[in-house]
Amino acid sequence: MKYLEISKIYIKSQLVWRADVVFQVLFTVTKILFAYLLWGIIFNDRTEVAGFSFQSMLSYYVISSFLSQIEMSDGISSEISQRIRSGTFSKYIVIPIDIQKYFIAMEVGVVAYYGIFQFMAAFVWVIIFRIQFVVSHNPIIILCAFLLVVLGLLFMVQLNYYLGLLALKYQEIGTFLMIKNNLVAFITGSIVPLMLLPEGIVSVMKLFPFYYVTYLPSMLFIGQLESEAVPGLVIIFIWCVMLQVLIHVTWGSYRRKYDGVGI
Amino acid sequence: MEFKRNIRVIKALIEIRFQNLMMFRLGFFGPFFVDGSLFLIQLMVFQAIYSNVDRIGTWGRGEMIVFIGTFSMINAINMVVYFFGINGLPQKIKNGDLDLYLTKPGSPLVRMTFEKINPGSLPLVGMSVLIIAYGIHQLGKPISGVAIAGYLFWIILMTILFYEMEVIIRSICFFVLSNANVTRIEEIGLELCMKIPGIVFYGGYRLLFCCILPYGIMATLPVQSLIGELSVLGAVYGILLTIIFTIITRGVWKRGVRCYNSASS
Repeated sequence: MKYLEISKIYIKSQLVWRADVVFQVLFTVTKILFAYLLWGIIFNDRTEVAGFSFQSMLSYYVISSFLSQIEMSDGISSEISQRIRSGTFSKYIVIPIDIQKYFIAMEVGVVAYYGIFQFMAAFVWVIIFRIQFVVSHNPIIILCAFLLVVLGLLFMVQLNYYLGLLALKYQEIGTFLMIKNNLVAFITGSIVPLMLLPEGIVSVMKLFPFYYVTYLPSMLFIGQLESEAVPGLVIIFIWCVMLQVLIHVTWGSYRRKYDGVGI
Repeated sequence: MEFKRNIRVIKALIEIRFQNLMMFRLGFFGPFFVDGSLFLIQLMVFQAIYSNVDRIGTWGRGEMIVFIGTFSMINAINMVVYFFGINGLPQKIKNGDLDLYLTKPGSPLVRMTFEKINPGSLPLVGMSVLIIAYGIHQLGKPISGVAIAGYLFWIILMTILFYEMEVIIRSICFFVLSNANVTRIEEIGLELCMKIPGIVFYGGYRLLFCCILPYGIMATLPVQSLIGELSVLGAVYGILLTIIFTIITRGVWKRGVRCYNSASS
């Protein structure tokens, strides 16, 4: 119940920063605009690229932009690492909550708030760019895609929480986090669909969780790669479990290093 | 005389900056790794696209690699020379620290521009040169000395334009309480224009990204000049736009300093 309250508080606190919503929406349109202009000129003299038509490519970008924009958990790692460095992480230690669950609840609140606006914005972009939206009609596949989105968001929260905890040992991880953000944008398929990459690389990527965070759900929503839905759910679930174990072990051994002093 | 004095000030600022960097070595190469990863990913993205298509508009793989290298080069010069100095301007206006710059001899803008040079980003310049060289190799045609000289001229000109955009955007803080959201517009423009060359823009998009927020021409014009695709009209446009932005930058800065009331908030 208390975690629900945390989610509610974070929904309310987002209301204070209304301009942020506008700029988040603008970031989404940048990605769609990128796709519209770049792929528009590419599709001028062809009808298909790597199994995509122009409309399915734009549909992919609308969905993947929406998913990558509501995934805002990178703030967790920077919040934890900054607080550890400044010695104010004690705030989370002294309150009667599980710290990781606190951040999950926080993410739920943020996603719920931004998700509504991003969804409306995506709808508007579809109309403005006159996209003939391609979507799967298979309800089971849609359900799998939704589950993948939820597990993907959970995995990213876990990952960012874990990376934040590394500041207990390594102090300054800001640079590493920025590089991670650059890399994640690529390997989750937010910049280009992973189908454009060589088959061997894609096969390796399928073993890692990032493939299932944005790329596979987006593909499932537009009615492609349906055979990968169930294996995808299993793989990302296994990754979530493994990462949870790693978080447990890391927190157990690193928390003693926290001195609450800061630099 | 003033130019000579400015050179002396710049030299002194660089010396002070090096002493400062020796004290705080942590994260020295941070900007290199962050921006380096960004442009390497950019390369991978276009490698992936070009493994499925031959051309994007009139540009093949070579032109696009040179484009990415050029954007990386302009960004690298920005990071090495002036980014960290100019980026601190809004904060200095907000907390009144700009007083220290206005009361000291010499141009406050020159001082701010060169006081935080970042040699840790120098490897980015090297990396950009490698990307450009690889792109030229991919072009598969000989590049004359004149073309290279023209290319360097455009790099310098577009770096100046980039600098002016940064100053204008951050100078908005003279007139409003916070320019955080304006710098985000800069981010949005940059994010888009580093991914797609100016040749792709048309209509309203061209007006927006090649004139109002001219990030769209910054790497495109040098590449067009190198591959012999730049028309006389395009060249005149690039030079005129830079001159106009220089005038705007001077005007905004001077007016901003007059509006500055030294009160911290």
